[in-house]
Amino acid sequence: MQLFDERAEVVGNIQLSERIYLMGIYAPQTANSIKPGQFVHITVDNTTGHILRRPFSVMAADPETGIIDILYQVVGSLTEVMTAWEEGHVLSMISPIGRGWRYPAGTEHALLVGGGIGAAPLFMLCKDLVSRGIRTDVVLGAVTADALVCRARYESLASDILRLSYATDDGTLGRAGFCTSLVEDALTAMELSDVSYDYIAVCGPEPLMRSVASMAEAANVFCEASLERRMACGVGACLSCIVETRGGRRRACVDGPVFETKEILW
Amino acid sequence: MVRQQVDLGGLVMRNPVTVASGTFGSGREYADFVDVAALGAVTTKGVSLHGWPGNDAPRIAETPSGMLNSIGLQNPGVDHLKHHDLPWLAAQGATVIVNVSGHSTQEYVQVIEALEEAPVGAYEVNISCPNVDAGGMTIGCHPLSVQEVVGACRVATKRPLIVKLTPNVTDITEIARAAEYSGADAISLINTLLGMAVDVKRRRPMLSRVVGGLSGPCVKPVALRMVWECHNAVRIPILGMGGITNGEDAVEFMLCGATAVAVGTANFMNPKATENVIAGIVEYCEEQGVDDVNDLIGALVC
Repeated sequence: MQLFDERAEVVGNIQLSERIYLMGIYAPQTANSIKPGQFVHITVDNTTGHILRRPFSVMAADPETGIIDILYQVVGSLTEVMTAWEEGHVLSMISPIGRGWRYPAGTEHALLVGGGIGAAPLFMLCKDLVSRGIRTDVVLGAVTADALVCRARYESLASDILRLSYATDDGTLGRAGFCTSLVEDALTAMELSDVSYDYIAVCGPEPLMRSVASMAEAANVFCEASLERRMACGVGACLSCIVETRGGRRRACVDGPVFETKEILW
Repeated sequence: MVRQQVDLGGLVMRNPVTVASGTFGSGREYADFVDVAALGAVTTKGVSLHGWPGNDAPRIAETPSGMLNSIGLQNPGVDHLKHHDLPWLAAQGATVIVNVSGHSTQEYVQVIEALEEAPVGAYEVNISCPNVDAGGMTIGCHPLSVQEVVGACRVATKRPLIVKLTPNVTDITEIARAAEYSGADAISLINTLLGMAVDVKRRRPMLSRVVGGLSGPCVKPVALRMVWECHNAVRIPILGMGGITNGEDAVEFMLCGATAVAVGTANFMNPKATENVIAGIVEYCEEQGVDDVNDLIGALVC
């Protein structure tokens, strides 16, 4: 996989909920090459003494317009800086990084589970699966209905083979409580009928991913998770972002960020 | 045309710029961004005899104008380097410095012995890593243990031997002199400064190993001071490093006495940082009417 450092330009940056923003970035080289589950490593602000880049997953990429969408949550001072970026802001973007989602050849029915902002890196995958005619069930969870910011995107894919369900902690939309109960229901329904998942993808808080991973293992379904780690180089050199796996310590940046959950030592 | 070639204790470099060990992998990781053969040298990630697993995560933390790391010299062992990375580097035409690590004097020697037939331009003996319990900085803080390890490595090879020094000592010139006395052809400095960062909300250290090595632009003044001190203390050439991000930073080190420089943390900020530094040195020389970079070495007026 050829990496490059692209000069990219912000084309839009809007607030979707209290802490979640959607940024559109003109980065044609990235838009043309990024695969579902891969990420970009961007310069945020060298003037405030923050020297390291930050990794962001890509929610959508349009090769025709050259625009990629990044969904980000304000968690610290750098993401706070990003909220002030206006159209025309230029940044440096290393991409396309990492090994993305790799559903098994012949997958017929997939289950995607996204917790909070974790819904973003699953969207490209969802779009890909649906475009290939693969039945896809999506479970999204968030704290409140307002925080379920990806919902409209997923709904825009409207298709007979796509089924969406939601859970919110406060019950303002869909099932009240954690989205894991919807995953349990889906897997139970699978046992009781002839429906059978051959792939589960999960992204979100680590306890959620761990829980879904154990459900997938119990149901004997191939499952992948996208992991997040503190990262410096983003190209596999510095060995900062290690993930403990059955095969030893692996790098989240280039050996991941997507790993088969059976391999992960949580 | 600015003459860029320098001689670092017998290692001829086409320009004065290499990378700091551990920030550039084996060079392959950056091959999409940088022509490794165009660097003065590629310094490979520290290698031990049979490989080490490194420390637990989290291994890094960003700090103001810098970062802490406690990777712990994770490496797959010298055989992997020899059969996997060195042939690739040789095929690219790169000049190679191998950073050698060990838990004991014997291990340093064994790593060097394992590489004597391999395409290596020079060894950098790492007696300064702050993130391992044995070897590393524990050796580099005392003149006697420096003499023991460097002396043993000196016997093991005729190739240029660079000794990498830790800044975490009272007087770095004492260590530099011990390295010179023991047969080092050059010294490199500084390795990272021992530091800490705290997550106040969780009341926990930001790094799993609590302490780690500080690098990045914030360490540059300390590194320059130590290069200057060593330049006045030893006759062997100096490979200077610590927070270099551009050509002017590199020139500062050369004026303070460095024959060559290494770009480290800046590679994480900009994967093409090495190329920028090389171009920046040339640009400086052209502006200043300097036709040979060697004229910069120790040319500080004070």
